[in-house]
Amino acid sequence: MADNTIVQSGTFISDGAARTLVLRSDIDWIQVFNETEATATNINRGYKYFWRRGLANGGGFVEYHPAADHTAAINVLAANTGISLIDSSTMVPGAAVAVTAGTNATQPVYSTAATGLLAAGAIARVVNTAHTNVNGLDFTVDTVVANTSFRLANALQQAPGLIAGANGFYRFIAPDIDTYKLFYPSKRVIGNITAANPGVVTTLVDHGLTTGQRVRLSVPGVCGMVQLDGREVNVTVLSASTFSIGVDTTAMTAFAFPLPASVPFTPAEMIPVGTRAGGPLADATINQGFIGVRLAAGVLSPAGSNNDVISWIAGKSFNL
Amino acid sequence: MLAATAGFINCVGGVNGDNPTEITRADVDTVVRTLLNNNAYTIMDNIEGEDKFGTAPVRDAYFALASTQLTGNLDNVAGFIHKNNYPSPMNALRSEWGSIGNLRFLVSSIGSMTPVSSALGADVYNIFCVGMEAYAAIEQDGYSAQFIYRPAIYDGPLALNASVGYKFAEVPRITNDLWVINLRASLN
Repeated sequence: MADNTIVQSGTFISDGAARTLVLRSDIDWIQVFNETEATATNINRGYKYFWRRGLANGGGFVEYHPAADHTAAINVLAANTGISLIDSSTMVPGAAVAVTAGTNATQPVYSTAATGLLAAGAIARVVNTAHTNVNGLDFTVDTVVANTSFRLANALQQAPGLIAGANGFYRFIAPDIDTYKLFYPSKRVIGNITAANPGVVTTLVDHGLTTGQRVRLSVPGVCGMVQLDGREVNVTVLSASTFSIGVDTTAMTAFAFPLPASVPFTPAEMIPVGTRAGGPLADATINQGFIGVRLAAGVLSPAGSNNDVISWIAGKSFNL
Repeated sequence: MLAATAGFINCVGGVNGDNPTEITRADVDTVVRTLLNNNAYTIMDNIEGEDKFGTAPVRDAYFALASTQLTGNLDNVAGFIHKNNYPSPMNALRSEWGSIGNLRFLVSSIGSMTPVSSALGADVYNIFCVGMEAYAAIEQDGYSAQFIYRPAIYDGPLALNASVGYKFAEVPRITNDLWVINLRASLN
């Protein structure tokens, strides 16, 4: 490998979470150095990682300290603990993975023997489960128990209505909202609108909005609160998944997330209008497509642990 | 851009047991009614009826931009008029498949599709139903796209490599979100 073909390099301080590096062009290889662990003598901690085209996405090699000194060993990274190449313009859903159960809660927990790339903040989709009202809808995941279960992060107005058995699948859709949709801001399915002054909207996938942006609400009859249907509102962001709309909804029909008996239906949506208080079209849909890599986090993964100093170089021209 | 941003209506009138279902006349009527209620102008004028066997007048219409995969399902929708059955086929566009009510369907092999996103895990086809001036592609700096070729002699002091590439200076924008609706349908 010739390292005079570097197209980009950089450094960051790990926050203990997986990290996406946005690159200015496509790459064929990348090396990641955990400078903190390289000088330390912690046992079984990785300090150098390598991935090239031809290796499995999410994999790679790790060089680590097998003992509490500076001796070195090399190992193959376990699936999904390494480096993944990302082209957000061509993201396709992951393979269908069996779901063995789903709880009847406003934040359903789905059981699976293989959580794969799922992590807090990732976006997933279940299909063909007994939760027919949730099937096909993308949602952010928050609590992932490795190879056991994952949970819908943003609470529905009401539970799906029944316990899902060992039917159906889930698919990994995206590692985060930055790679979820090419364009920003983009529409979101609504899971709840509170009866309050002002009403608060919860989206199934984190909305990514900022205070002051303007959206239109689409609330079909099956979701109740039809008084908000077609209404254009200013957004005040409360959290990654909620925003208040500056409208008193206490006297309106209660919002209801549709139950399985209502399938098929069109869910309530938040539609960006492409306008904000700062001026017309100032925030209209912006193409945010990028090429990059996703680094998994952990003591034997390239994004490292909290406060680790990480540097990386990425390049082209690797001959397979 | 339309798939990411435009509001959607799921087809619900079909019988395939999925969500969304396959497209039906009721779904077309819902979209047309919504666009009319939002004061969207139709794009195409009506085609007057003529005294020809097998033809039918075509209403003034919004455009529906769809995948070629939907053609079989469109044929089965009540009230579908294939462009061959227009009173004056000369008025049909090359990519047009036919019309249903106040929608005229233009199909493309690269029509929008969201993979495995129906309730049963089937592909969902996005049918963008648009009124006049619902969205625009705004050209920047007076051009929309450029194909660039630089011969080797201009590309480096040793004239070893030529370069070829392209660049776009075009920005898509929805001008009025009320005038574009994504009608989502699965296949039957």
